[in-house]
Amino acid sequence: MKLRGRSDRSAAVDAPAVTREDAQAPAIELVGVGKRYGETRALTDFTIDIGHDEFLVLLGPSGCGKSTVLKVVAGLEDATEGEVYINGRLVNYVAPKARDVAMVFQNYALYPHMTVEKNLGFPLKMTGRPKAEVRERVREAARLLELEPELSRYPEQLSGGQRQRVALGRAIVRNPVAFLMDEPLSNLDALLRVQMRDELQKLHRRVGRTTVYVTHDQTEAMTMADRIVVLRSGLVQQVGTPDEVYRRPTNTFVASFVGSPQMNLFEGRAEARDGVTTAVSPAAAIPLSGERYPEGEEVTFGVRPEDVLLTVDGERGAVAGVVTLVEPMGPDVYLDVALADDCSCLVRAPADTKVAEGERIHLRFRSEKIHLFDAEGVRIPT
Amino acid sequence: MGANGRVVASSRERPSLRRVFRLRPVGEAGPLLTAASYAIVIVACVVTLGPFFYILTTSVKDSGLLFQYPPDWIPADFFWGNYTFLLEQTSFLRWMLNTLVVALSVTVLKLLFDSMAGYAFAKMRFPGKNVLFVVVLATLMIPFSAILIPLFFLVRDLGLLDTYWALILPPLANPVGIFLMRSFIESLPNDLENAARLDGCSEFAVYRRVILPLIKPPLVVLAVLTFLIQYTSFIWPLVAVSSEDMRVLTTGLAAQRGVTSIDWGTVSAGGIMAMIPITIVFLALQRYFIAGSLAGALKQ
Repeated sequence: MKLRGRSDRSAAVDAPAVTREDAQAPAIELVGVGKRYGETRALTDFTIDIGHDEFLVLLGPSGCGKSTVLKVVAGLEDATEGEVYINGRLVNYVAPKARDVAMVFQNYALYPHMTVEKNLGFPLKMTGRPKAEVRERVREAARLLELEPELSRYPEQLSGGQRQRVALGRAIVRNPVAFLMDEPLSNLDALLRVQMRDELQKLHRRVGRTTVYVTHDQTEAMTMADRIVVLRSGLVQQVGTPDEVYRRPTNTFVASFVGSPQMNLFEGRAEARDGVTTAVSPAAAIPLSGERYPEGEEVTFGVRPEDVLLTVDGERGAVAGVVTLVEPMGPDVYLDVALADDCSCLVRAPADTKVAEGERIHLRFRSEKIHLFDAEGVRIPT
Repeated sequence: MGANGRVVASSRERPSLRRVFRLRPVGEAGPLLTAASYAIVIVACVVTLGPFFYILTTSVKDSGLLFQYPPDWIPADFFWGNYTFLLEQTSFLRWMLNTLVVALSVTVLKLLFDSMAGYAFAKMRFPGKNVLFVVVLATLMIPFSAILIPLFFLVRDLGLLDTYWALILPPLANPVGIFLMRSFIESLPNDLENAARLDGCSEFAVYRRVILPLIKPPLVVLAVLTFLIQYTSFIWPLVAVSSEDMRVLTTGLAAQRGVTSIDWGTVSAGGIMAMIPITIVFLALQRYFIAGSLAGALKQ
């Protein structure tokens, strides 16, 4: 049972938080959380349960409200509406230091005047732990993150990757209920980012703590998340596993935001042709097999670049186009194919595909992989 | 003569002015610019060190030699009577002590209050913050001479006249330090204080353990400026304290002038001795002072 009464802020800052009666409470629970800055809405009706040990990624473009969620959970920002529970405790009016969460910031937020050892031990020192315990836990975290040789150095003497590890270590030593990570890899170069991504995943498996991870990088989201929350303008667009978000996007925003290269989206109409429902657009007419579609209505159909195949003229459903750009990507080659005026299609083809810019080719869309959205951009269930 | 029959000018034949004004890499000065730079530096040294040298020689001259013409820039015999007179016949050491007590107290208290106020204005959220800051800054526009009399009455009504408090409390209300601290603290990333809050710091602990160590450079600038201003302060100590024992160096030395004449030798000796503490303070903090002065300009 949840206690929905609002606490008295002045009295509750250091007071014991309200707790729920059920023992199986999620690690973090947000109920109808909203956040306004003056007239600007940063977050609207955000509701989610985050399980123990779960790795949840908040994904969205800049300004979508994902960092706001973290700050609200951490207590660095007050929720304008809704309730925040951590381990079953209502924490809306609990000070950040009493919420038992640790945060890793985008710019690391290491204390420049402290050595690595002091940075790591600072949270423990602030909570009044004995010096011996602080030293032992700092050594343990340093060993876990391979930071032992750097303990006596200052942050400015460390590389970006080492700083990132120190920031992680400062979170780990506290042994909190949850880690909150605000784009922790965005300041690293591409190679180091991949390495740190792997290390973070391994660390998550070893430490086994609830992690809420904010990123605008869909690769990070897809590779690391147990579940992804896609946000746009403060509104949740979809919550699901990486596979669900990729294969069954709930709307055109998610469809185009998740996946690299982006999904091809064509606006058109569902029509009956020769007894088969066909998605007709200026780009192509694509027969939609074995499904019920709203005939006559405006639809947007989407197909991922890897679900567009090169074919020959005359095949059923083949669409002709002219290659306008060839982008070799190593294992694949991306082809930008003009199908009609102001309408092009991106194709992901094997690297050994022999096509040249300006060449006329034929494409076929895998009909079973086509995503259909209504006029408002919402996925049509099939 | 060149291979094609044209006359090729050797470098020795080039007009010297072209050498002087030829294009050079950025930052490389030509001979004219170098000479001008040295001339300016020499003039600046003469202008700044000249008076110092003059009172130094005056302080070791007998009064009879002070006004001889042509002046004897370096006296043949050093006369130490001005110094012994000051140390033995006046309360010079007491004035020095008073000055140091007042200047150090004001400096320490200003660093504390201004850094805390700067932190509050830069990082904390409270209603009316910006209006309050403008009001605080607006007090800069009121000249000190305009508040001298009301301030005197205020201090008198508080019963603080002729005490250390009369000299220490009024200078604390100067908002320049608050402005300086706020500007610097504002440039520190918010994530640092947020990290500290999550790490278990109270608001005061954020200030004490994270912000304060990071604002050392501007604190040193403020410390040197405040100490210097208090050390040389004259008008307010002249009004606020009157007894011999409560005088500070400036008012004490000024009191050495007689009704009809000034003993320049004694005043010069006092000036030279008064320079010693402030020179030590500046030399000790010089490294931080210069770093602090440049911090705003060079911060990435």
